[in-house]
Amino acid sequence: MIPLGLLEVGEVGVVQDITGGIGFISRISATGFTQNAEITMLRNWKRGPVLVFIRDTQMALGRGEAEKIIVRRKKI
Amino acid sequence: MNKSTLKSVQNANTVALAGQPNTGKSTIFNRLTGSKQHVGNWPGKTVEKKEGAFKYSGQSYKLVDLPGTYSLTANSLEEIISRDFIIKEQPDVLIVVVDASQLERTLYLVAETAMLWTKIIVALNMMDIAERQGRALITETMGKKMGVKVVPMIASKNKGIPELLEAIKECADSGKPERKPAQQILEGDALALVKKVKLIIKGCVPSPYLEEWTALKLLEGDEEISGIMRNRLEPAKWQEIDSLVNDNSVLLVTGSKYEWIQKIISSSKQQPGREKTLARQNKFDKIATHPVLGKFAALGILLFAIIAAMIVGFPPAMAVMKVMPKVAEGTRTLLVSTPVWFSSMLADGVIIGVGIATALFFFLMAVFLVVGFLEDVGYLPRLAYVFDPFMQRLGLYGKSFMPFLMSLSCNIAGVLGTRVVDSWRQRFITLVMSPIIPCLAIWGVVAFIGTVFFGAKTPLVVVALLIVIVFHLIITSFLLRHIVVKGDRAGLIMDLPPYHKPNIKTIWGYAWMNGKAFLKRGFTLIALVSFVVWLLSYFPDGNIETSFLASTGKFLNPIGELMGFDWRLMVALIVAMASKEASLAAIAVLFGIGQKFTSVTGMIGATGIYKQEALGSILVQTISPAAALAFIFALTFSIPCIGTMGAFYSETKSLKWTAGASVYYTVSSLVAGILVYNISLLFF
Repeated sequence: MIPLGLLEVGEVGVVQDITGGIGFISRISATGFTQNAEITMLRNWKRGPVLVFIRDTQMALGRGEAEKIIVRRKKI
Repeated sequence: MNKSTLKSVQNANTVALAGQPNTGKSTIFNRLTGSKQHVGNWPGKTVEKKEGAFKYSGQSYKLVDLPGTYSLTANSLEEIISRDFIIKEQPDVLIVVVDASQLERTLYLVAETAMLWTKIIVALNMMDIAERQGRALITETMGKKMGVKVVPMIASKNKGIPELLEAIKECADSGKPERKPAQQILEGDALALVKKVKLIIKGCVPSPYLEEWTALKLLEGDEEISGIMRNRLEPAKWQEIDSLVNDNSVLLVTGSKYEWIQKIISSSKQQPGREKTLARQNKFDKIATHPVLGKFAALGILLFAIIAAMIVGFPPAMAVMKVMPKVAEGTRTLLVSTPVWFSSMLADGVIIGVGIATALFFFLMAVFLVVGFLEDVGYLPRLAYVFDPFMQRLGLYGKSFMPFLMSLSCNIAGVLGTRVVDSWRQRFITLVMSPIIPCLAIWGVVAFIGTVFFGAKTPLVVVALLIVIVFHLIITSFLLRHIVVKGDRAGLIMDLPPYHKPNIKTIWGYAWMNGKAFLKRGFTLIALVSFVVWLLSYFPDGNIETSFLASTGKFLNPIGELMGFDWRLMVALIVAMASKEASLAAIAVLFGIGQKFTSVTGMIGATGIYKQEALGSILVQTISPAAALAFIFALTFSIPCIGTMGAFYSETKSLKWTAGASVYYTVSSLVAGILVYNISLLFF
């Protein structure tokens, strides 16, 4: 289990947990980041925002936000 | 169509339009209403409200465009406005626009609205893009599964509009709305939890909220609903709720809604597995989202956009500016038998003011067309993505970068460019900050005065100015975020929708609607302020040097003295608030160089009628370098021009905020001037 920010480009992660308080969880889960959602990493430069693909959409997430999403690497 | 005609539509059914941003909601709105639109603000808010009207088979309908939202939880003002309208105004029909090419996520709003007491139609837009992705859907199955009518559409190509109209009619004519009970959407633990909470709050939920929906929102940690229920429940009961609401309950409930969506999608796919993998970026997107290349691409595209706006907008604007003085002179000649003040009033006060506003209108339309194009294509979120880390240092989002850059050419363009910022709060912050960035006209004045006084050291002045501008931006951003519109910078969570082929009708509709909004507010304000400026500069005796404007300058002399100004520079600073271009002409007149103007408005666009060298040498003789430097800073930070404030009013639709921002710029201009004067006295 790793924070989303550590996922390499091309890797797929499955959301396990989201931290960061109820307000943040409420906002981000409405955009599709919920348990068991699959996330493909599209852009990750180890700093600055990441770009992921989730639920039919490309989403940009701040580095801080990406750290709060805990994923399990999915073997492809 | 104006407000009164909209109101006169009697017995009209109310139809509300909801949807996430970038789903083509405004295209559908424009297609349904045509030109019968009215743009205003939601009562007491700076969030824009669009209303329209249409007729279908003998029945009148009122269409209300709700702000674009992802969900109906109270995470933003837009979401509160949308859900308040649905719950409290109870529209006869609610259309939820869904993007077929981003189906899973955009269906979330359907899951959100389905549990409310309202009749829903799902407008399944962008079917062409979905098809290109290899996604084929059986919309009938989808509708049946969701228990709502689904209308497939390609709104940009006008496909599906007749079907949507028919669906609206059917829906409006059908009986009372059927609400989907939670068990049709939620499952398992989530459903059990909702039922548990519903039992606790039974009988305590204020109308018009529904118990089940309230229970759901409590579990999602909705602040507004929690606040209401905390006051209504006995402490013991509230504690019981409080123990049930936590991180997990939020994830459980939202997760359950997404499971419902997934089930609907998988059951309505024509051939499972035919879809191309969507998780691939196209070639351009790879460049556009690259941290280095993406920034260059963005700067190139924006530069191109600004140039395009100038090419389109400047010729008609310049033509107006050219004709305007002739019309003014013609009027003066024609009215030669009338009192001088009367002909001057018409020529300098009315015609020039209206002329400026008209010229601006053409320029604005060009800016709107270009911004509309960038929005329609879907490029802007990429730009926001690459510039987000940079803008974050100002406490802003990446999307504010575009208006800031446009402000460098013209503050009016910058103010209008803030339209691309989605959240009203971020947009408002950007709106107030954009005019702080100096436009080309300001640089012109800075370069002139700088060279006259500081010669080869002018670049140093510019560097100092740039540093102060950055500090000004940081301080203003801080003040806005912590005092004026409280709330911290919520982190970056933004979707990058697929690219769309630009649609001329959509872009034109966007430009025309915003242009009309400008005509209604900004135009009037500019014409009015021009008239007032004329009044002040003409009366009492038709000579600017003895006018009320001059008396004001003399009256404000004590403030001017703090910056080392005499009354003439103070007047020039006041003129600069109306127009930067006119400020040099005003100085020339006041220092006795160049032709006499009977009014300030006549000076706008009057470059080249005085000798710059002569003006320069007179200024050096009469003004100290410290005062000149103070003037540069005070001018840079003063109100940019009446055009910008007109656009500001047109965009916020609030005189209160327009006046507030004007006061802020004036104060910061004076503070900058006074500080710079006193600091530079130590050196000069």
